[in-house]
Amino acid sequence: MDSPYLELRDVTKLFAKVVANRHVSFSIQSGEVVALLGENGAGKSTIMKILYGLYHADSGEILINGVARKIASPKDAMALGIAMIQQHFSLVPAHSVTENIILGNASGRINLAAYQKQVRELATEYGFDIDPAALVRDLPVGVQQKVEILKALFQKARLLIMDEPTAVLTPQEAVKLMAFVRRFATAGHSVVFITHKLKEVMAVADRIIVMRNGEVHGDLLRASTDEKELSTLMIGRELPPLPKELAIPASAKEMLRLDGVSIRDAHGGCGLEEVSFAIREGEIFGIAGVSGNGQQELCEAICGFRPLASGSISLDGRDLARLGIRDRIGLGIGYVPADRQKDGLVMELSLAENMILKSSYDAKWKQWRLLDRPRIAQYANSKIQAYSIKAPGPDAVVKELSGGNQQKLVVAREVDNGTRLLIFDQPTRGLDLGAIDYVHKAILAERAKGKGVLCISTELSEIFALSDRIAVLYKGVIQGIFKKTELTTEKIGLLMAGYAIDAEIPNMTKESAK
Amino acid sequence: MNANLRDLFLSTFFAVVLGIVASASLLLFLGKNPIAAYTLLATSIIRDSYTIADIFVKATPLILTGLAFALPFKASLFNIGAQGQFYIGALAASAVSLALGERLPGLPGILLVIVAAMVAGGLWGAFIGWVKAKFNSNEFLISMMSTYVALAVMNYFLRTALMEAKHEYPQTDTFAPRLWLPTIFEGTRLHAGFILAVLFALFTWVLLYRTDLGYRIRVVGHNPTAARLSGIEASRIYISTFFLAGALAALAGVTETNGVQHMLVQGFNPTLGAEGIGIAILANANPIGIIFAAILFGALKVGGNVMGQMSGIPASIIEIMEGFVMIFVILSYFVRNFLATRRAKRVLQKSLAV
Amino acid sequence: MINLLSRALLMSTPLLFGAIAEVFAERAGVMITAIEGIFLLGALGGFVGAYLSGNLYLGLLLAIFTGMAVAAVYGWITVYLKQHQIVTGTAISILAAGLSSYFMRVFFGTPILPLTVEPLKAIPLPLLSQIPVLGPIFFTQNILTYAIYGIVPLSWFILYRTSLGLTIRSAGENPEAVDVAGIKVDRIRFAMVLLAGAMGGIAGAFYSIGFLGMFTTNIIGGRGWIAFAICFLGNWNPLGVLVGTLVFGLAEALAIYMQSSGTMLLPNELFIALPYILTIVLTISRKSFNVPAKLGIPYRKEN
Repeated sequence: MDSPYLELRDVTKLFAKVVANRHVSFSIQSGEVVALLGENGAGKSTIMKILYGLYHADSGEILINGVARKIASPKDAMALGIAMIQQHFSLVPAHSVTENIILGNASGRINLAAYQKQVRELATEYGFDIDPAALVRDLPVGVQQKVEILKALFQKARLLIMDEPTAVLTPQEAVKLMAFVRRFATAGHSVVFITHKLKEVMAVADRIIVMRNGEVHGDLLRASTDEKELSTLMIGRELPPLPKELAIPASAKEMLRLDGVSIRDAHGGCGLEEVSFAIREGEIFGIAGVSGNGQQELCEAICGFRPLASGSISLDGRDLARLGIRDRIGLGIGYVPADRQKDGLVMELSLAENMILKSSYDAKWKQWRLLDRPRIAQYANSKIQAYSIKAPGPDAVVKELSGGNQQKLVVAREVDNGTRLLIFDQPTRGLDLGAIDYVHKAILAERAKGKGVLCISTELSEIFALSDRIAVLYKGVIQGIFKKTELTTEKIGLLMAGYAIDAEIPNMTKESAK
Repeated sequence: MNANLRDLFLSTFFAVVLGIVASASLLLFLGKNPIAAYTLLATSIIRDSYTIADIFVKATPLILTGLAFALPFKASLFNIGAQGQFYIGALAASAVSLALGERLPGLPGILLVIVAAMVAGGLWGAFIGWVKAKFNSNEFLISMMSTYVALAVMNYFLRTALMEAKHEYPQTDTFAPRLWLPTIFEGTRLHAGFILAVLFALFTWVLLYRTDLGYRIRVVGHNPTAARLSGIEASRIYISTFFLAGALAALAGVTETNGVQHMLVQGFNPTLGAEGIGIAILANANPIGIIFAAILFGALKVGGNVMGQMSGIPASIIEIMEGFVMIFVILSYFVRNFLATRRAKRVLQKSLAV
Repeated sequence: MINLLSRALLMSTPLLFGAIAEVFAERAGVMITAIEGIFLLGALGGFVGAYLSGNLYLGLLLAIFTGMAVAAVYGWITVYLKQHQIVTGTAISILAAGLSSYFMRVFFGTPILPLTVEPLKAIPLPLLSQIPVLGPIFFTQNILTYAIYGIVPLSWFILYRTSLGLTIRSAGENPEAVDVAGIKVDRIRFAMVLLAGAMGGIAGAFYSIGFLGMFTTNIIGGRGWIAFAICFLGNWNPLGVLVGTLVFGLAEALAIYMQSSGTMLLPNELFIALPYILTIVLTISRKSFNVPAKLGIPYRKEN
């Protein structure tokens, strides 16, 4: 039998605190699309970074066309025709498209005009609409991904590794990407498609490798498997269903109200344009959209982090315009930011210290002008119990905790701070399914207490599972507000891409005006 | 955790020893016997109570400039300007001391000198914090440059208003003895300034780790974005920490003018600021650790001086020693991290083998 | 007046060498906070080499070598061992201060009179130096000052028109992109630190053998930090840096002029402090900075 194009044998990789890969073996054939399926933290990215020379395995070997090869750096990988697109792209935002593509692929004096022409031709060949002279920081994420793909094509890659490529795309863009992947494979190239989404796997892959806890738990042909089998292999157990949702009583008061809120963004990011909606007590208001379309700006506007260009925000009938961040926290607004490590936690401080992050001015933590440490520790301990946070104790440093436990910590704190309104931005990003389930239950429990909840997510499944009503945000504009039952994946996908579908859903303007 | 703590003490100890050994080896090129020289250093610093007390005299301003770097460092701010704040403090202390003369009794007089110096140095420092807060200016550069400006200000006054009566040297007249910081031990130079410095180190520790302001200083230091989203105003933190840092460095000015020299001399103690940074690094920016690190540097200074007088070894060997100790301490950070990582990985490997 | 401007250009020279050195290193992501120490030991190396060999150019060579040696230690600790740049730079600067007087003692003992060498001479360029006004200012300078005419355009060309420059800039903006492109981030950063050491060494030597003809331990007096500041103020661009160094050179020439002219209209100290005050004012008033995004942050991969 012919040896496969590429083979990984018994690869093991240890990080300082976790076993990332344990005896991983599989192969990739020429012209084959292999999906690497698994939850967050299953070790999919690590094994591919080893293949690309970014990490070095502690043991095991890599064979190409049956010959053992040592890949010590990305340079070696590139020489063997391997290219990898990282999940969080590795582009230089301040540089142009062309400069990014030729980085490491040019030498001596650079004839920029000639390279720009080359990039333009390559883009046209694959049907990408890209200006080679544009600065990457000015491009939407979807286009940035195309720059990454062009970079791989420019290097004449034979094997293309893509790490969670659809995370930043609308459903329609994702379909186009998968079409590209199929076309690329048809030409005899190979693709590794890393994902945690079962639907994509079934749509794009020839063969599926399922990973869990750093190990391979299945190597199946798409034709001979189904989503149910894959899901069981990936999770390793059954998940209990979410509790039944409650109907919002008609008497529920309106609590948060945005009227014509606009934000200007000086830094080339997304602003907000005339955003209006209202949330009632005990309601979960979901916001769908591709990331970078104004979600974070919306949260920050409500929290008082960004000034409004026009419009007004009120909570329980009180105008927030003149209130600072601390005052708004005092009114009972809790906020779980999308990037918890950057915006929500102080990684170097202890769990207990992180619990008082937003209430350090509060007299209840003080005794004789000094911090009442036993009391703070006790408070933290009670939350560790209540949220079953896995930590040695309240003095444990937060960066030692896993991502899921960090998120539980933020949720625990914000649920207490947010006595009236809770804002969740990407509440489950990067978590494993157990933690996702936990966070979802916490959100539903707070809703049941009558709090208003604003839930933002790029995961449509999450939006559908939690929300009572759903709005779609595109380039800072609300594309429409719908009851959950009025929407399908296809419709929401079109809205996320900025297509108006008023004709199909006539009631949306009325709804948003209400 | 225990293993990490053990590593901390061991690696710091070895760093200090290596720094001393490295500088000793340089003595060979001067044709001196390093072993004899360092034996002399070790014996000379404990030869009598005057010399032993002098270690603490030298340590006093170092504790304060060490704190002046460490406190803003906890807020991720770089105060490279402790030297200038020290000069401003010394200048203010001298001006007030000379103006007071014999007008006030000792204790209130000294208190007034201290308060004046700390406020002057504090305001000098707070300016840096203020431009950081208001214009987001680079505090590292500005504090660095402010030292040279402070030096020019001091020189100006020593040439004009504060110049000694005979107008010969760029220095002031001697202060009234009642404004001298009282001596703690008869027959030595050790003055009450040392106790003040230790108290302020303890105060800084309590501030950082036991008060909500200190908590917010550390939050801003580790993650300014999260701090802002939590309603903590970084600008106030910038101004208040730089005020405190300036005041601490200025207090070192008082301990030197009113505690040791009893006058102000042009360009004295030109390396206190830089040594303060070294001490803060050696102590991992821990205020309590700074006390001990400053005493170590004080011993090196006293010993180096004695060594210089007795065997003709240049005084620059002290700076070399300090420099090497600092570099080895920085290397020890790396070694410690390396050891901790390797230890964690070993544990994993074992669990994997089972 | 002509004298003053000619002096200004002369005084700009070392600042330009130092600031361009910073530009290359900082564009790659490393602040050279040891620059004061590099200047100082460069000045020492230049003087020792020139005095012992009697040849100024051998002095310059030794200055380059000592500058690179200091930079190598700094680069090893900050780039490869990933330690804090400001802290490391301070330590090295203290050590350099001690070493400078130590080596003076090793080589020269304790002389009664300060040792001197004949400093670099101005070389009037044929014809060009005859041009009235411009000739004495621009074309009657020493060889290091002439070098800056070439260094600025050359640096600009390397940074913006070559693949090396692209790699350097990318290493400071997003080192991960460089790594993924198969180029060793640490290697390019370390190389830039060495380059900065060589240029900083020349800058230091300018003060000892290019200008004063002697060495004292306080010869640099914060000029390294001014070069560091000019790099910031010049927006990490060789052209901006050129403007910055000329302004500072002028300020310094003015200070020397005022001191020697003996006018007591304003206190002398004000002029001495002028370059430093200028740095503070400019740092505060500069609004938009193009800071390399990953400046000062060591490149670490999870492991």
